[in-house]
Amino acid sequence: MAGKNKQKILIVDDSEMNRSILADMLGEEYDIVEAEDGVQAVGILSKQASELSLVLLDIVMPKLDGFGVLSAMNQNGWIMDVPVVMVSAESGSKQVERAYELGVTDFINRPFDALVVRRRVVNTILLYAKQKRLIGMVEDQIYETEQRSSLMIDILSHIVEFRNGESGLHILHVRTLTAMLLELIAAKTDRYGLTPREISLISTASALHDVGKIAIDGAILNKPGRLTTEEFSVMKTHTTVGAEMLQAAVPGWMTDEEYEIMKSHTTAGADMLARLPVQHGEDLVKTAYEICRWHHERWDGRGYPDGLRGDEIPIAAQVVSLADVYDALTSPRVYKPAIPHEEALRMILDGQCGQFNPMLLECMTENAEKIRTALEGDAAEEIQQRNLRSISEEALRGEGGAVSERTLRLLDYERMKYHFFAAMSEEIQFEYTVAPSMVTLSAYGSKTLGLEEIFMDPLHSEKLISLLGRETLEKIVNSQHDTTPDDSDSTMEVLVRLDGESRWFRVITRSVWSRDLPPKYMGLLGKAIDIHEEKMKLRELEKKASCDPLTGLLNRASAREQIENRMLVHPDGLFALLEIDIDDFKRVNDEMGHIFGDQVLQDLAKRMKHSVRNSDICCRAGGEEFFIFLEYNTDIERTMERIFNSLCFEHEGRKVTVSVGVALGSEVGRKFDDLYNAADMALYAAKHAGKNRFCFYDESMSDTVS
Amino acid sequence: MTLRDCYAALGGDYDEVIARLRSERLVQKFVLKFMDDGSFEALVRAVGEKNQEEAFRAAHTIKGMCQNLSFTTLGRSADELTEALRNGWSDEAPALLEKVSADYARVAGAIGELKASL
Repeated sequence: MAGKNKQKILIVDDSEMNRSILADMLGEEYDIVEAEDGVQAVGILSKQASELSLVLLDIVMPKLDGFGVLSAMNQNGWIMDVPVVMVSAESGSKQVERAYELGVTDFINRPFDALVVRRRVVNTILLYAKQKRLIGMVEDQIYETEQRSSLMIDILSHIVEFRNGESGLHILHVRTLTAMLLELIAAKTDRYGLTPREISLISTASALHDVGKIAIDGAILNKPGRLTTEEFSVMKTHTTVGAEMLQAAVPGWMTDEEYEIMKSHTTAGADMLARLPVQHGEDLVKTAYEICRWHHERWDGRGYPDGLRGDEIPIAAQVVSLADVYDALTSPRVYKPAIPHEEALRMILDGQCGQFNPMLLECMTENAEKIRTALEGDAAEEIQQRNLRSISEEALRGEGGAVSERTLRLLDYERMKYHFFAAMSEEIQFEYTVAPSMVTLSAYGSKTLGLEEIFMDPLHSEKLISLLGRETLEKIVNSQHDTTPDDSDSTMEVLVRLDGESRWFRVITRSVWSRDLPPKYMGLLGKAIDIHEEKMKLRELEKKASCDPLTGLLNRASAREQIENRMLVHPDGLFALLEIDIDDFKRVNDEMGHIFGDQVLQDLAKRMKHSVRNSDICCRAGGEEFFIFLEYNTDIERTMERIFNSLCFEHEGRKVTVSVGVALGSEVGRKFDDLYNAADMALYAAKHAGKNRFCFYDESMSDTVS
Repeated sequence: MTLRDCYAALGGDYDEVIARLRSERLVQKFVLKFMDDGSFEALVRAVGEKNQEEAFRAAHTIKGMCQNLSFTTLGRSADELTEALRNGWSDEAPALLEKVSADYARVAGAIGELKASL
């Protein structure tokens, strides 16, 4: 049923009946795609906008209404490509105006009339197709002109550089005049079949009319005063020399034999040229050849080099010769001053510069004033040139309403490339736009996260909130706050709850800004990479590095760091640092062996852990020396009693006792080194008093030691 | 019962719909389909819950379908309800819904009879 050549129409309406009425009215001639709300519509558009010939769009719909769809179409540029006809019971002028502003082509009001619907659909599709073709044609022409111009300017700038200074302006004038005369004669007669394209071609090629002068001796070229007969015959060769140069520019373009035929009869030559396989750009060279060779021929056959007459002389050469003569007369030359416009015109009409095509002369006299003013501002041509360039650049950039075919093809290609790479990489890629507030996920992302590929309003999406938690979600959506249009990337690590398990992801985003001044925040591009394994490994390593391998307690350095951090975070907490030393541990080692000694250390570590809260910090500082850093509420004496008792034990029948020095933050302050020194002094006091006991630090100890 | 009779019974404009859709077969197909649409149930529920947004959308959808099928009477009452709800909740909505319900019942009855006679 769905024939390949059928045009595809997307019908967006929340009422199934309305969709099917429209589908039935359009009948079998079209391929119909349906969407029952705006989100579905955007989804379909994002996948196949370039295949759609038309969208029929309702306004009032759940999830995302017709205006939302239009905004998305504008944002993605689809509106340039796909015409939209609104189908709605809404007829308020405000709504209609807004829809037109958003680029809608037409309205079909309910109730639907089968004939009206069909006719509107056909018309809209035709109109768009035609418009697209026209844009393509204009653009190709502009593009070609530009290509040609830049080529010409390259060649000519060299000539101007190497030869006399007059040519630069002369070339511009001849070109302007040629274009003008061609337009005038095309309006007068279709005898020469001049299309706008051809006019542009000839006026561009006209810039090359004197290219053969490169080969002429400068002494002759710039001689002030009359040329001798001999000199003049050298001068004349600039026509054939220029033609030969062009002939050589495209190798194999014309054989000598063909050239002879062409010389003997212009129309026969033209026929033959038409039969030759034409390379790109050859018609330009061909035109330039005609101009170079024959721009000194005259209507009555008394010109040079070939003595062609009448319309044997190609129109391109006829027009350029007239333009050349007029500008030569009205410009100052080394051998003569500038002649005023009226006098120059009279000289030409009187035949003082040879005979010209009477129809061209007619054009010239009828538009004498126009010609004079056109050449007055020599900037005119430049301006035209600039305009041309800016129009085409605009078209190519897709600004000012017209997205070019070329741009669309590029976009299609980029889209394909993106989808391919997105599918190949196991990454969650996403795109967020502010208006409409919408998220687009890569296929892999959608599968991994169990979310739709496109969904609206992410900040209120229950599913997304349960995946990320509200806080993280807001952090990602608002990540642009840390960026600017110049520095638009941001990276963060977030926890994602997937299938009941929390996993770490790294989320990298780039904020997208409008070209306005000041730039407006438009949305985000981003990807999320699962770094869970990597992160866990890192944590494991960190933990290993911070722990004593024998007992699993923290080592001294990391304990110190944690203790300092704890005191910083809780400036009002009551803290105690306990320094614990196993009594006569050397003897235990000596008598029972190192393995036994290690077991004692492990046993003690376990008891330490059990005797304090999880949040307290236990550490093996080295050898048989341990720390406990704890937070207490009121009665530290009783707490110490309890801890101390649990640290005295028997290991495999051998009694183990410890001595403990206690320093209180409330007495010695909150510096680790001060706490440590005080605990150390208290420990010394405990040992000194006979071991197997604990001592609190008091100020008298500092005196005894120091 | 003919399709024309059905239109007379439900308060619709048979001539107009035929002029627009141009096929009795199509009109009949859509008339029979009318009862499959869940908008009326959604409308009753939404008005009951005072959910303006939902109610507006459902009334709007019914109005649109009626316009397309030339169900003049029901279309008119659905239009009144739609307009009442356009800019926020209206306390007139329950009363207007009663009118819509009565017209909807009339349409449902006529379509039921048409179905039975096919």
